[in-house]
Amino acid sequence: MERLPAFELRRASSLAEAIGWLAGTPGARAIAGGTDLVPNLRDGLGSPPVLVDLSGIAGLDALVAGDDGVRIGANVTLARLASDAALAQALPAVVQAAASIAAPGHRSVATVGGNLCVDTRCVYYNQSEWWRRSNDYCLKHGGDTCHVAPHGERCHAAYAGDLAPALIVCGARVEIAGPDGTRGIAIEDLYRDDGRAHLALGPGELVAGVVVPVQPPRARSAYRKARARGAIDFPLAGVAVRLSADAGRVASLAVGLTGTNSRPLRLAGTDAWSGRAIDEALLADLGKAVQKQVSPMRTTLTQANWRRQVAAVAAQRLVRELAEAIA
Amino acid sequence: MSLPDRRDPPPAAVGVRQPLVDGVDKVTGAARYTADLAPRDALVGAILRSPVAHATIRGIDTSRARAMPGVRAVVTGEDCAVAYGVIPIAQNEFPLARGRVRYRGEPVAAVAADDPATARAALEAIELDLEPLPAVFDAAAARAEGSVLLHDDKPGNVERAVEQTFGDVDGGFASADLVREQSFHYAEVHQAMMEPNAALAAWDAERGRLTLHSVTQVPYYVHLALARCLRLDESAIRVIKPFVGGGFGHRTETLNFEIVAALLARAAGGTVRLELTREETFLTHRGRPETDVRLKIGLAKSGAITAVEAEVVQRGGAYAGYGLVTILYAGALIHALYRVPASRYKGFRVYANTPPNGAMRGHGSVDVRHAFESLLDAMAAELGLDPFAVRRANLIEAPHRTINDLQVNSCGLAQCLDIVERRSRWRERRGRLPRGHGLGMACSHYVSGSAKPVHWTGEPHAVVNLKLDFDGGITVLTGASDIGQGSSTLLAQAAAEVLRLPMSRFTVFANDSAVTPKDNGSYSSRVSFMVGNAAIRAADELKRVLVAAAARRLEVHPDDVEWEGERCRVAGTDRELAYKEVVTEALRDTGTITAKGAWSTPPETQGGRFRGAAVGSSAGFSYAALVAEVEVDEDTGMVRVVGVWVAHDCGRAINPLSVEGQVQGSVWMGMGQALSEETQYLDGLHARANLLDYRVPTIVESPPIDTSIVEAPDPNGPFGAKEAGEGSLSAFLPALTNAIADAIGLRLDALPASPDRVLEAIVARRRAERLRRAAKPVPQGAD
Repeated sequence: MERLPAFELRRASSLAEAIGWLAGTPGARAIAGGTDLVPNLRDGLGSPPVLVDLSGIAGLDALVAGDDGVRIGANVTLARLASDAALAQALPAVVQAAASIAAPGHRSVATVGGNLCVDTRCVYYNQSEWWRRSNDYCLKHGGDTCHVAPHGERCHAAYAGDLAPALIVCGARVEIAGPDGTRGIAIEDLYRDDGRAHLALGPGELVAGVVVPVQPPRARSAYRKARARGAIDFPLAGVAVRLSADAGRVASLAVGLTGTNSRPLRLAGTDAWSGRAIDEALLADLGKAVQKQVSPMRTTLTQANWRRQVAAVAAQRLVRELAEAIA
Repeated sequence: MSLPDRRDPPPAAVGVRQPLVDGVDKVTGAARYTADLAPRDALVGAILRSPVAHATIRGIDTSRARAMPGVRAVVTGEDCAVAYGVIPIAQNEFPLARGRVRYRGEPVAAVAADDPATARAALEAIELDLEPLPAVFDAAAARAEGSVLLHDDKPGNVERAVEQTFGDVDGGFASADLVREQSFHYAEVHQAMMEPNAALAAWDAERGRLTLHSVTQVPYYVHLALARCLRLDESAIRVIKPFVGGGFGHRTETLNFEIVAALLARAAGGTVRLELTREETFLTHRGRPETDVRLKIGLAKSGAITAVEAEVVQRGGAYAGYGLVTILYAGALIHALYRVPASRYKGFRVYANTPPNGAMRGHGSVDVRHAFESLLDAMAAELGLDPFAVRRANLIEAPHRTINDLQVNSCGLAQCLDIVERRSRWRERRGRLPRGHGLGMACSHYVSGSAKPVHWTGEPHAVVNLKLDFDGGITVLTGASDIGQGSSTLLAQAAAEVLRLPMSRFTVFANDSAVTPKDNGSYSSRVSFMVGNAAIRAADELKRVLVAAAARRLEVHPDDVEWEGERCRVAGTDRELAYKEVVTEALRDTGTITAKGAWSTPPETQGGRFRGAAVGSSAGFSYAALVAEVEVDEDTGMVRVVGVWVAHDCGRAINPLSVEGQVQGSVWMGMGQALSEETQYLDGLHARANLLDYRVPTIVESPPIDTSIVEAPDPNGPFGAKEAGEGSLSAFLPALTNAIADAIGLRLDALPASPDRVLEAIVARRRAERLRRAAKPVPQGAD
């Protein structure tokens, strides 16, 4: 990696100040832990004139549990999330996802907001400037061809955040602060299926926090991440499941997926399984549904088909394990 | 400095678990590596690399870069017309490409500037006029009829073809009870040492002298290449190796950036710091080549090997490097692990448009050893033999001369086998583990230094000087490169043992060509053996001088002096002298004493008389046996290494702490190649030139490694010692795949065993089984 390009660092003391700077400076980027942004900048992926440092904004790192759920501020670090005993009880999938990200050093500074907004990744994109130029760049950055699917019109870079699928299955909403005030949306709606512009954020908008409702009684959740190594790596596929069951039958089932598409997904069709016995037939249907709905492309050097298969296996195993834990 | 009470018995230095003498500097951060050495006036160097895999260079326009303020030098292939390479008969690489570029990432120009931004801008301003040529990225394409040639003097892009036959091969196969043949494929791997490449070159314009600091394992070879490429007298060059963060063979030859730094410094008339990125370090490559092995083995019912036939094809990359040595090693080291009565070897080292390969840890032996131990394992099963039994049926008894003239003077493989069999509880557990769990084993060996150096000068293999001065301290002066393996500690231990003095009397000063004796460098596991022997001889010589001085003071014959290091005594009396008194006497009239020791390999260990016979020859062979336990997830293809038991015969463990570290490091590096590491090129572009995609195992994957040391002393080794840093690497790979075979009945013939490959093999087997079942009517009641 090369040295960082020159930029002006502005330390915001309030959300309003940060939003004002981001909205008012074309190309400005927000930075908190920097574990995603800095390596990308060192690879020449952008040269923002201004970086707006969010880390000094009072209250943005609040983690508050209330009667209606948990509010996780955007600046809460992944290390804090991963080591919170109460959250581990209430939202195990979220805590497991946080603990699975990168390595302890990264997690000590990386934030919830940063992981939700983590850039999409691709073997043709996460390379040096020399490399990308030697390859005529790509649709996501500087070029007009997607090398993953050269005849298509879109960028297939894969979303690689771990928290999003866990938050999806837990029914979380995202608080977005922007020039026009604050709005709340379902977390799925933060994302678009476009590797080049996967975040549905307007100019000057920021993720300020996440609100996770109180989980239904008897619901359990978990997260599983497929990768070649047990640490450091981004998910080749990641699966979160929340299951509530009654007498061996599905009461409700939610499955969130990451690493396989340009956005995190909520598996469609699981509502129809309410009331079904949790048996091999259900697991087979679940596996088929996952394999059908994910669309891993050649964005990683690990075979796309493997990512599809292990996503299905991980979903099946999680459902089986959660059902056993509930029983 | 604390010295022991002079009445203490003299300390033992050899066989002691000795923390490394430079360990404290490393863990406190006091150690300075090349990139840490940044003089205030140093210019920033940067290299422009070829964007294409193969092209004719029509022109390089540097005029805009040269005109930029702050740019102090621009150099291209025009500035060095002398080819270099580690093998004197195969020098075809230029520090900056001339006439043609042959791989993506090959250096074509370089700049020195006042600051990084200017250097970067200057590279942008250089215009390359390249006319593309067809490119070949694998050995088969490179060897294909009508393929473009990388080097006009090498038809078929074959750098070196080897054909060697020993004994009656056809007769051996004819007499065998079982003959099997199999093909294997191995991905290219890279060392991924912690410290990226860097060099600091200072040109003294007034006196025409060059000083280079670099990350090298072989400062002497770098010295020679600098003299050659810059057309300087060798005495006008000084090469210093500071602390080095690992090498594993990446740095066992002069690398292009070292010469480029020197060219820039001379052109700029100053000091240039050239620090490569991790990607550039990957592009410098020098790892283990992509390799295809076709292997045929004949076995008698007893398990005895009757004949071996191997064909090995290595994609060596764009330039020669160590290539011909690697392809010769691959054949030579089929021998000397087991008794092999007949063998035929065909080797092809092939050029392709990828970064050049090198002499990576286990040089030449690793992939072929995997093939051999895998096929042997499968054949043993067919014969109803336990994997240990088939190895025991083929043990060498030292002394033994192999059919390819390698001289084995010590072999502790039998003890290694016994130990890992017992410690892994093989007999109790093998075949009794649940499905998905398996035990596998394999053996390996390695040379303790090549008996003939790649650069033959007639000088001894190793020289050590010991300097003794008024303070009683002894400085060990050596050219041996400590790159983390602990050679400096070992040399101090060797001298301390002979002189019976405490380690605290010794300081090791290494790798400054202006001060230390020439040394061929740290490669082929030569240092402990060869430089260790030289250190012993230097200490013997110093001891002779000291005993003579003591005898003078005590007015007795030297034979009557009992030497105990911190004191000496007239035999049979109470008359004693303290060490410092002896030193004072020894220095009287002469002043500072320098004692020298030198060592060379005995002629009978230097190999046979056929072409290529020197490669593989060694004055001592190490041996290892290894058991791996795995758990295989058949739904995901994930393989987890549960445990490893390894025994390594290093002759004598001079520093058992270091030996254990080296053996564990070897196992771990073998695990990386076996499980997850591989390079990969997309139309010649290195797609894994970073530590996310080049998947070195993390601590999560690192299993407990139960390490045992076996000591079958070698008559030529220092205190009986042999190598410890490479030999147990290659046993891991086949032990792993043999364990996978035990776990799920699937024999992998390609590495790494990455989860996608393993799952693909599992799925393919299921499909094949379904096809078989569909073809045959299923009997009633069958699954």
